[in-house]
Amino acid sequence: MNTFLVTVGVGLATAAILALSALAFTLEYAVSRIANFAHGEFLTIGAYVAYSTQAIFHQNVAAAAVIAAVAGAVSGLLLNVLVIEQFRGRSAITVLIATLGVALIVQNVLTMIYGAANVSYSFAQGSLHHVGPFLWTTSDIEVILSALAIAGLSYLLLQRTRFGKAIRAVSQDRALAQVSGIPARRIVMGTWILAGAVAGFAGFALAATIGTFGPLLGFNFLLLTITATVAGGLGRPYATLGGALIVGLAIQIAGTYTSSAYELVFAFLLLVLLMLFRPNGVFVQRSSVTVRA
Amino acid sequence: MYWVSVFTEAGIFAILALGLDMVWGWSGDFDLAFYGYLAIGSYMTFVLSIGKPTPPVEYIIGWHLPVLIAIPLAVVVVVGLAAVVGAIALRNLRGIYFAVTTLGAVSALYLLVENYTPLFDGYNGVYGLINPGQSALNLTYNGYRIFFLVIVLVLLFLSYLLVQRLSRSPFGRMVRSVREDERAAAAYGRQVFFTKYRAYLFGAALAGLTGGLFAIFISAFNPSAWTPQELLLIYAAILIGGRGNPRGVILGVFVVYIGFIELTRYLPSPASRPDFGPALRQVLIGLLIILMLRFRPEGVFRERPGLDTERGPAGRPRPGWVEALATAAKGTAVPPASQRAAARRRAGE
Repeated sequence: MNTFLVTVGVGLATAAILALSALAFTLEYAVSRIANFAHGEFLTIGAYVAYSTQAIFHQNVAAAAVIAAVAGAVSGLLLNVLVIEQFRGRSAITVLIATLGVALIVQNVLTMIYGAANVSYSFAQGSLHHVGPFLWTTSDIEVILSALAIAGLSYLLLQRTRFGKAIRAVSQDRALAQVSGIPARRIVMGTWILAGAVAGFAGFALAATIGTFGPLLGFNFLLLTITATVAGGLGRPYATLGGALIVGLAIQIAGTYTSSAYELVFAFLLLVLLMLFRPNGVFVQRSSVTVRA
Repeated sequence: MYWVSVFTEAGIFAILALGLDMVWGWSGDFDLAFYGYLAIGSYMTFVLSIGKPTPPVEYIIGWHLPVLIAIPLAVVVVVGLAAVVGAIALRNLRGIYFAVTTLGAVSALYLLVENYTPLFDGYNGVYGLINPGQSALNLTYNGYRIFFLVIVLVLLFLSYLLVQRLSRSPFGRMVRSVREDERAAAAYGRQVFFTKYRAYLFGAALAGLTGGLFAIFISAFNPSAWTPQELLLIYAAILIGGRGNPRGVILGVFVVYIGFIELTRYLPSPASRPDFGPALRQVLIGLLIILMLRFRPEGVFRERPGLDTERGPAGRPRPGWVEALATAAKGTAVPPASQRAAARRRAGE
């Protein structure tokens, strides 16, 4: 068995979850022009709600995934209405601090409900499969396939529907979209619901893949998400998918050849390098101007 | 004795907040790496003063220096680290890019310290610095604790004097001018990066000092002592006290710190759920941050304008809130819009 190819296979599974999380993060940025530091909490909430309801649906994985997505969608809506819109017109950094406050609240409310200790699902992990040169578990394959499906659907939604067209318009210029007759507030709200749903599902997939999780599941995943998003370029949904692929593979390969404990250290080094040399993403020409947001 | 320890800790955090306020309040950069500087200052103080490690414990250096030398050395190391992080993050990254980069830096540092045991013994951390100099000073345990509180308060007062003076100095005004409008400051010949960089290093030096004091205060240090969440408490304190106002910042720390300590003592915390009380405390801190940012971003005590801006363009005194209320009561013009904009500008937006 070729170690390198197995590593690439695991990296692809990581990249699939990362791609979903980063897609949601970049959509939030695109319409609201803010970095949502409570983004990780969408994932955590999705994972926990699926955990709480797994017994009701008799450990049905598909039902749990849908529940997680719904929980994420509700969280997205609430965050948009209760916090983000309240801070309209304020600087991006103010909103960042506010969302960091939200993250703190959500993490600790979850700790108060479920305790700080890790919990785990009672789904069957499934057997190992050889797919081409890769070695995947059943859940890995399900995650990769559903990520591809969600990415494809998002593409169709953004390119082919009125809603998607409106999202693109709002993300370019909210005021201009508003005066052109697009109900900007509703479109932004809809985008947050969509992003929350994708993130909630990603949280369930992440928790199911790792096995055990705690209230910091999403927050610990946030920096990876941001790294992937920055690699693609903030606010650019399709490039984000490429960024997730690069980051997912890079950390998996680097981690395998050193120690898995250092995976995230590599991710952060990658983030710093990106910030230094390609702050607008790896797919665009390097610019020398100061980057602000 | 309980209150001695509460005030000591609040005093230490007040010095940290003064340092952080130079970075966030004066310079306008939201730095998430700041708690890492306290941590490294603390670790370095330990490894420079507690002597060689006995296996299986392992850590670097292991000298046996007196703390009076160890702490300044630790500060030097911290400033060196901040010089690297600042050189990367401050050069041309602003706003959320700066925040993300510093969060990445501190997370990488955290994971490295936690997993690479030869550095600071990984998750176990370092310990064993118990009341340095107690026998030389011929003090009882409690006597030493009170002595240490006095030392902390004196250092806090000195830091305050220094920061207050710097704040009014040409350097302080330069840092603020860069915060308000980088391009304008550059057009007037200010070196934007270097100005911010100096403020950043100064803030980090104060954090390093805090780390050293913290080492003596808790006499043990491990990764669970410096999660990024701890830093939010300091940010909440600065927000309440008023960004850029040293007196307000110190008051904010004491109010938030002692307020929360006292509050959590009376909170219900079931014995079966030891993590309930601390979690509730964090929820309250989060709420406090959001509400302050939303309704009073300039804090209870707003930043005092510099001497050069005390008067308006025509030499008229700036309209105070009394005048503003009077105008508003007359039903004329709408001062809130312009004033709110001014307040926001002052709050660094």
